[in-house]
Amino acid sequence: MSFDVSVILGALPAILSGLQITLGIWLASTAMGAVLGFVVAALRHFGPQPLALALRLAVEVLRGTPFLVQIFLLYFGGPFIGLSLDPVPAGLLGLSLYAAAYFSEIVRAGFAAVPRGHVEAAQCVGLSQAQIVRRILVPEMTMLVLPQAVNMAVILLKETAVLSIIAVPEATATISAIGSQQYAFVEALFLLAVIYWGLVEACGRAGQALECRLSKFRFA
Amino acid sequence: MTPRLFELMLKAAGTTVVISVASIGIGLLIGILVCAARLSPRPWLRWPAGLFVSFFRGVPLLVQLLLIYNLLPAIGLTVPSVVAALIGLSLCTAAYQAENLRGGFTSVPRGLLEAADMVGLSPWQQFRRIRAPIALRLTVPALVNEAILILKASSLISVVGVIELTRTAQNLAASTYEPLLFYAVAGGLYLAINWLVAAGGSLAERALRRGRLA
Amino acid sequence: MTLPSSAIAIRGLCKSYGKAEVLHDIDLEIARGATTCLIGPSGSGKSTLLRCIAFLEEATRGTILINGQPLGFEEQPDGKRVRVPAHQIRRVRSGIGMVFQQFNLWPHMTALGNVTEALVTVNGLSRAEAEARGMAQLRRVGLEARARHYPSELSGGQQQRVAIARALALEPKILLFDEPTASLDPELTGEVLNVMRDLGADGMTMVVVTHEIGFAATVGRRIVFLDHGRVLLNGTPGELFAAPRHPRLTQFLETYLDRGAAMLLKPA
Repeated sequence: MSFDVSVILGALPAILSGLQITLGIWLASTAMGAVLGFVVAALRHFGPQPLALALRLAVEVLRGTPFLVQIFLLYFGGPFIGLSLDPVPAGLLGLSLYAAAYFSEIVRAGFAAVPRGHVEAAQCVGLSQAQIVRRILVPEMTMLVLPQAVNMAVILLKETAVLSIIAVPEATATISAIGSQQYAFVEALFLLAVIYWGLVEACGRAGQALECRLSKFRFA
Repeated sequence: MTPRLFELMLKAAGTTVVISVASIGIGLLIGILVCAARLSPRPWLRWPAGLFVSFFRGVPLLVQLLLIYNLLPAIGLTVPSVVAALIGLSLCTAAYQAENLRGGFTSVPRGLLEAADMVGLSPWQQFRRIRAPIALRLTVPALVNEAILILKASSLISVVGVIELTRTAQNLAASTYEPLLFYAVAGGLYLAINWLVAAGGSLAERALRRGRLA
Repeated sequence: MTLPSSAIAIRGLCKSYGKAEVLHDIDLEIARGATTCLIGPSGSGKSTLLRCIAFLEEATRGTILINGQPLGFEEQPDGKRVRVPAHQIRRVRSGIGMVFQQFNLWPHMTALGNVTEALVTVNGLSRAEAEARGMAQLRRVGLEARARHYPSELSGGQQQRVAIARALALEPKILLFDEPTASLDPELTGEVLNVMRDLGADGMTMVVVTHEIGFAATVGRRIVFLDHGRVLLNGTPGELFAAPRHPRLTQFLETYLDRGAAMLLKPA
């Protein structure tokens, strides 16, 4: 077989636009997922019982089923309940919900891991409930969950590739389309793999550097 | 949904389970070899193993599957799509399982091996009697977790044309115009299988609890 | 063959980690059939010395003779220091038992399993024979009834007694203890110290790194006081603790008033 990546690289503008969409969806859904996950974790902890139960069920379902099935349900099933979305908004919504379920579990574990004594110490020096959450729980929890949160972000980056199946014009869809037009499908996939690999490695390194910088705040 | 269609879905779920179990098993075997290479003092073994782990954990499974599915014919190997899917899933889970195993092995406290040293166990006896059993026990929760991840990830092999649970739901949704129903049923079946795996996992962990690290 | 008079003979032992020298030129003879206690402030090198004797750490210079046989390194007639072969290390080490601060029981084996492991795997005894001997050792430390329990089901004191039984099962000539009670709750140290006291009374050669000054003063036949990686004092408890005391020792004892040192500091 011949192996020539240059035919793919000829379509550089299209590749870049695909990458841009991948990165955009990734960053947006990670941010929305993290915020939503935090809210879900807080509601499960402080909210009324029935709501907590319903949220728990939703989280279990989102974590227990494949993302592909979720996105099919949303994209193809949505119109039947009046929710007709274009591929990009559907992908963004689906990935954000998926991310929120996982982030809520990470946050929940983080809150549980903050030693009870730290909260008691804050109560003893007279901090209010809200102050304790803002000044003690959230910062400590952030330190604790940072490694898992970075890990989750990496998983989400890879999960964006699944969105190509519902025709979101992200990197996987764009580059493999160019590959089949140019009769260089394998080359296109290699290039794609290398791009993701580089992004994931860079993301992992950045996470490690961040952890290192924040490590002085860690308790033993 | 007619009972006949539900039966089709159940059968497809069986396919998903069989393929997942096979990949987990093959992946464990490859993972053990990769982990051994990663822990080896020889750089020419350590390096490629590290590269293997990094690549298969760094590239989306969908891209891996497409790559293997298209690469094999390109180098003159024509295999059924289910074989390509099995290779892809196995290699991917092997990379994760190798890392889990490595975590298990490096978490065995050094003192336990010093104690073995002091009573005269040879390096191989230490590996067989102390290191490996403790490391495997430490790895059980991660293995259960990995099994659940692979069950879900196996939905992606529908893309290379394997008729498993997701693909069956897709086909039936298209032919009956009832996507909500069939994707919901598929989701329910995945959930049920995962709950079973998780329950089995906690049984296994309970059975091993007496011998846990203090 | 007559055994040399000292169980352990240490000559010119030095140990350094990179540039930091932890042990400086240690010369020490450990008497047979007696309990020797190594005491000293943290960082004085007492645990490192013990681990060198067990060959868990390799000394940078110097030699150690166990019952007259070199362990780890041997000095040749021309003064060169060479490593002895692995099988010889294993043989010489089989005369030494070690008890660790963290017990280091294997978590996936029962108490009896821990005690019999080496008897079966290394010495090739049948399971029945090994279990009979293992039970005898567990009886000796008062834990016959706990034979089928896993380490996670035992208290710290019980775990440490099982660890002692594991070391005893191989019938070592010398037992080394590395701060055996340091990770135990105060109310559990007594049961471990009692077992050690009984072993001492039976004539076992023991080297004990400890912070239990009261135990050292009453059970130790000899006390070795280490400071900054050197043997500062070496003598009987009577010699060391009676006035006039070395000022460094007095300073050290004052920080251990709650570990039984108070009675030693009382004006006579």
